[in-house]
Amino acid sequence: MAEEAIARGLIAVGAGLAVGLAGIGAGLGESGIGAAAVGATAEDRGFFGLGILFTVIPETIVIFGLVIAFILMFAFH
Amino acid sequence: MLLKSKRSSWAYIVARVKVMKRRLIPSEEYRKLLNMDFNEIVRYLEETDYKREIDELAYKYSGPRLLDYALTLNLGRTYRKIMDVSFGIAKDIITTYLKRWDIWNIVTIIRGKMAGVSEEEIEEALVPVGEYTLDFYKSLIPKEIDEIVKTFEGTPYYSVLSKVGSEPLSIIEDELYKIYYHQILKERPSEFALKLFVDFIKMEIDIKNIKTILRLKREDVSAEEIMRRIIPGGFEITEEEASKLIAMSWDELVKALEGYWFSKGLEGITDKSISRIEIKFDKAWMEVVARRASNYPLSILPVLQYMVLKKIEVDNLRTLGWGKWQGIPNEEIEEQLVIL
Repeated sequence: MAEEAIARGLIAVGAGLAVGLAGIGAGLGESGIGAAAVGATAEDRGFFGLGILFTVIPETIVIFGLVIAFILMFAFH
Repeated sequence: MLLKSKRSSWAYIVARVKVMKRRLIPSEEYRKLLNMDFNEIVRYLEETDYKREIDELAYKYSGPRLLDYALTLNLGRTYRKIMDVSFGIAKDIITTYLKRWDIWNIVTIIRGKMAGVSEEEIEEALVPVGEYTLDFYKSLIPKEIDEIVKTFEGTPYYSVLSKVGSEPLSIIEDELYKIYYHQILKERPSEFALKLFVDFIKMEIDIKNIKTILRLKREDVSAEEIMRRIIPGGFEITEEEASKLIAMSWDELVKALEGYWFSKGLEGITDKSISRIEIKFDKAWMEVVARRASNYPLSILPVLQYMVLKKIEVDNLRTLGWGKWQGIPNEEIEEQLVIL
């Protein structure tokens, strides 16, 4: 019983780490792209859409993290 | 440490400058501009970034003078804008780089005073983007030359400026630029970003030196006199190298220069006029700068590249405007333009 509780807890921690670390990584990646996007948009409004699109591309990594979290939470349950 | 990454600050200024670079007049357009008359050129520029300055000054001036002052004002504003939107180390580097305009301004004021140009006209020729503000320069303009020189007491420029009157102004100008370059080169760059900047400045010194050597060689100036004009601290042309090059005859010199990084500027050097050679060196230099800027995209180099390109554009438009106004044939104007 106690072991099961520990296992569940560890799975939850793992899921948290998967999303959290992926989020930090994506944030670091986005910082440069976001700064460049803002710089380009400040000069020319036309870059607004493209800038947003490029800025969120590293966000896909977070989706991978989220998928892993779901797998952990539901498949290993 | 990871969170303190400076990448984002470079990304911002570089992206901004890259968009500004897109708005420069493309090289194909110069062919079109060459076929226009003066008024058409002004009208063309009114549809570009220069509109604001032309509109502002149009009530006071007309003809090539309007174009001249509008271009100067625009250049100053563009540089100031880059300085204002940058931060951190980028701002420090840009501020240091732009200090060269202090020398331009001081020399312009003194030259204007000597030639008896009106105060207003001197003011329009200033590009106040360096250490000193426009108000400071405005306070200088009504003064006598001696008083102007006195104002700089305590600055590094004073010792050279105190020679005004006893030496030709062109020599004083050269000496002032030497001080400027010395100020930049005296400290060893601690960061990679600074090293890139220092290398850029060293390359600029090389180009300036080689132009000086070739020009003065053509005029048969004595070796000591040429050596006096050489700016120390070049990238490949150090003072030693320079004295070696100066001692050579013209043909030897042209041969010896082939090994240097700017050797592309030497193509067809033999029987062309010296101004064409200078333009070729400018082009060779800009090519190297462009290559280095794309090698180090997140650095100061793209910003410096833009600043030099903007200066070239302004100079081109000025040449074009005056050339057209004075009815110089298209081919001759084209030879004076730096079209990249």
